[in-house]
Amino acid sequence: MKSLLTKIIEAANRFRRPLIALAIVLALVIPLIPRNPFYQDLIIMIFFWATLATAWNLLGGFAGQISLGHAAFFGIGAYTSTILYLSLGLSPWIGMFAGAGLAMLVALIVGYPTFRLTSHFFALATLAFGEVLRLLASYFRELTGGGVGLLIPHEPAFRNFIFENKTAYAYIILAMLLAILCITYIFKKSRFGYSLSALREDPGAAESLGINTHRAKMYALLISVFFTSIAGTFYAQYVAFIEPDIVFASHISVQLALLSIIGGIGTVFGPLVGSLFLTPLDIFLRGWLGGVFSGLNFVVYGVILILAVMYFPLGIAGWTKKFLSRFRKPPELPVVKPADIPMIKAATAITRKETGGPLMTVDSISKRFGGLEAVKDLSFTVHEGEILGLIGPNGAGKTTVFNLISGFIPPDKGKIVFNGRDVTSLKAPHCFCRECIGRTFQLVKPFQSMTVLENVMVGAFACTRNPEEARKEAFAILNRIHLSHHAFTIAASLTIADRKRLELGRALGTKPKLLLLDEVMAGLTPKETEDIISIIKSISNEGITIIMIEHVMKAVMSLSDRIVVINNGIKLVEGLPNTVVKDQRVIDAYLGGAYHAAAGLK
Amino acid sequence: MLDVIIQLAINGLLLGGIYALLSVGLTLIFGVLEIINFAHGEFLMISMYLTFLLFSVFGIDPYLSLVIVIPVFFLFGFAVEKILIKPLLNDPPLNQIFATIGLGLIFSNLALLFFKADFRTVKTFYSNSNIIFGNYFVSVPRLIAFAIAIALIAALLIYLKKTFTGKAIRALAQQRKAAMLMGIDVHRTYAIAFGIGIAAVGAAGAVLMPLFFVFPTVGSLFSLIAFVVVILGGYNSLLGSLVAGLTIGLIEGFSGFFISPHLKEVVYFVLFIFILIFKPTGLLGKR
Repeated sequence: MKSLLTKIIEAANRFRRPLIALAIVLALVIPLIPRNPFYQDLIIMIFFWATLATAWNLLGGFAGQISLGHAAFFGIGAYTSTILYLSLGLSPWIGMFAGAGLAMLVALIVGYPTFRLTSHFFALATLAFGEVLRLLASYFRELTGGGVGLLIPHEPAFRNFIFENKTAYAYIILAMLLAILCITYIFKKSRFGYSLSALREDPGAAESLGINTHRAKMYALLISVFFTSIAGTFYAQYVAFIEPDIVFASHISVQLALLSIIGGIGTVFGPLVGSLFLTPLDIFLRGWLGGVFSGLNFVVYGVILILAVMYFPLGIAGWTKKFLSRFRKPPELPVVKPADIPMIKAATAITRKETGGPLMTVDSISKRFGGLEAVKDLSFTVHEGEILGLIGPNGAGKTTVFNLISGFIPPDKGKIVFNGRDVTSLKAPHCFCRECIGRTFQLVKPFQSMTVLENVMVGAFACTRNPEEARKEAFAILNRIHLSHHAFTIAASLTIADRKRLELGRALGTKPKLLLLDEVMAGLTPKETEDIISIIKSISNEGITIIMIEHVMKAVMSLSDRIVVINNGIKLVEGLPNTVVKDQRVIDAYLGGAYHAAAGLK
Repeated sequence: MLDVIIQLAINGLLLGGIYALLSVGLTLIFGVLEIINFAHGEFLMISMYLTFLLFSVFGIDPYLSLVIVIPVFFLFGFAVEKILIKPLLNDPPLNQIFATIGLGLIFSNLALLFFKADFRTVKTFYSNSNIIFGNYFVSVPRLIAFAIAIALIAALLIYLKKTFTGKAIRALAQQRKAAMLMGIDVHRTYAIAFGIGIAAVGAAGAVLMPLFFVFPTVGSLFSLIAFVVVILGGYNSLLGSLVAGLTIGLIEGFSGFFISPHLKEVVYFVLFIFILIFKPTGLLGKR
């Protein structure tokens, strides 16, 4: 029995592309079938809501930026084209793009400041914005007709975007739907799609891998708003009547989210699936309950919404995908020939020597957090090809130093020169990544819901736009960091040792000249430590310069060419490993002066 | 002209006190649970209907009904946290946002079912009475509402400063994990914090009732104000919410006179965006 099911599913998997093609053909034929206007309307509404929800999902699902004010952009589209048509006689085909332009401009104003903050603020700002636009539309009566609304006279003509036959509307909205579906589908597989998923999962890690998160969010917003706005024009032309309480209604925004969540948020076809199920339900509920018990249909919506986020967060498409993946064999790992990848073998010793000129020079940087001076007048230089150990007791300011030299926090004063360029004033961490400074995080930040391979691909995308190349590069790296057997594992289910290695691999993907390793050995077993030491050796052999923060002294001693010791944000000592550990000031800082008195070591 | 300005300032400040009470609950919940309660306005709406019913059925004065509304709303909030919020605490923001939005949708439409879209208000003997100070009028219900709001906020601040549970709530707002290690029962404290937040908005609904009218979607009007107050005050400072509430009241008073009362929401929103651009941590915000 099970084998039959498996066979069916395998067949479905194999014929995925033909199935999609079949669905498109079906969608193309369907508008021709019904003669009954009710069913024609139903089909149009399914496509219409699917278009809006797919556009919303690009921003809310893929980039994780929840808009509660998409009704505003919808309304702007509807009103702009209608006002231009009614007062100037401008064809809605042109007005549609004018509306989209206006909506995108407004989105820029709302999105630009709020995207710098956590996603809560974007949700709040869009909610408030939607509400305000509705009130504005009611207030400026001369322009919008106020509560009376605007009526578009029935003068069928192509240039008027008005048709006798509903089939024409069905094809127009279907074209819009296919366009946004295609865009989403292409994005999903592209570098941009990976950027969006990465910034949704962890903005900090995404920045460290060279993703300009602010700009990526803006792009997603603008594309989403464009389609929302032209769907607004479509609605106005199809219904031929608009008023503020309809096109600016806040429940439109909620409806889009509901369709995406039920269908499968963050999936390409989820919103369409959601619309297939919920739009007929919506029309039924409105007809059946709305008339008698006004409001009951929305109560049902609220209940569905809550149940969905609590018990069915993957949605139909997400759940199906998960279900199918149980039957799908993991894709074969491509055979990696040693010739393809330099240094596939873990190094047992560091072979190169001869460190070059200075790669990074840190010149008396300081950073203060309120009353705490975390880093004070710190200067050091790291030379090309070197491994520099950065040690110091807990709270010494080591991670702050990393945050300063990788752009996560700006220094209060001082200068950082990297590769002959002053990088002090670079605005965001992604700029530091582009200068070829890679880093890992002490508290690992894997992109939880992505696979190990995809995690590393995000890093590799820093150097290529081509997904195939990124995939190849990522495989090669996974081999190097001994993680290829987990390539298709979801990152959230990795052990701590594997997560540390994943961090390392992701940073390697960006092809750094300088790699900052923040306690990659903390919490590992001796064997795992051995493993990671050999990986670090192989990285160093390749000529990558490394600064490592580490508490595992054996590793620091054996790996570092030089060591910088800091305490309370001040550099204590700098020098060769052997001299540093014997330095009295270092011993005092680590063990405290009292230790010596007690042990009689003085 | 000066008289007009002073009169506007009085009206605005009195209104601002209610706005502050309305918003401290939202701030408390956001500060402690890191969840924005998008159903906040709908809780206000329910409390207004409750006050209306208590008055019209049992003849209980709106101010007296606080004795009932506050404990009922505390339990209401406590239960909502246990049932709806707690399971979602570690979920992505999306799930939390839409859980509270769903709740708000249910509340406002249930109200529509039961009460229809009519505007209702309570008519008390003091509804339209004024005290006259020299050249200035002070509306009695506004003054009482202001006094109650300030007293309740003060009581809340003292509670958070002095009692063990209050300290636990503040500790959780600072550092969830550390507080957990100090032996604080996180889930109970969260539920209490949510309950207090809802009780505060419940109280705001009760004192608002003699001044305003209630209808099923009244919540969205006030939640917009509460959001702006929270952002302006620095989203994790209760004192900030108080200052911001009074500020917004003043701004509303003046903009209503000098611009247009119909455009007050637009003024809020412009302010909202400006705060986010120039001072995202708000007036008294930390971090």
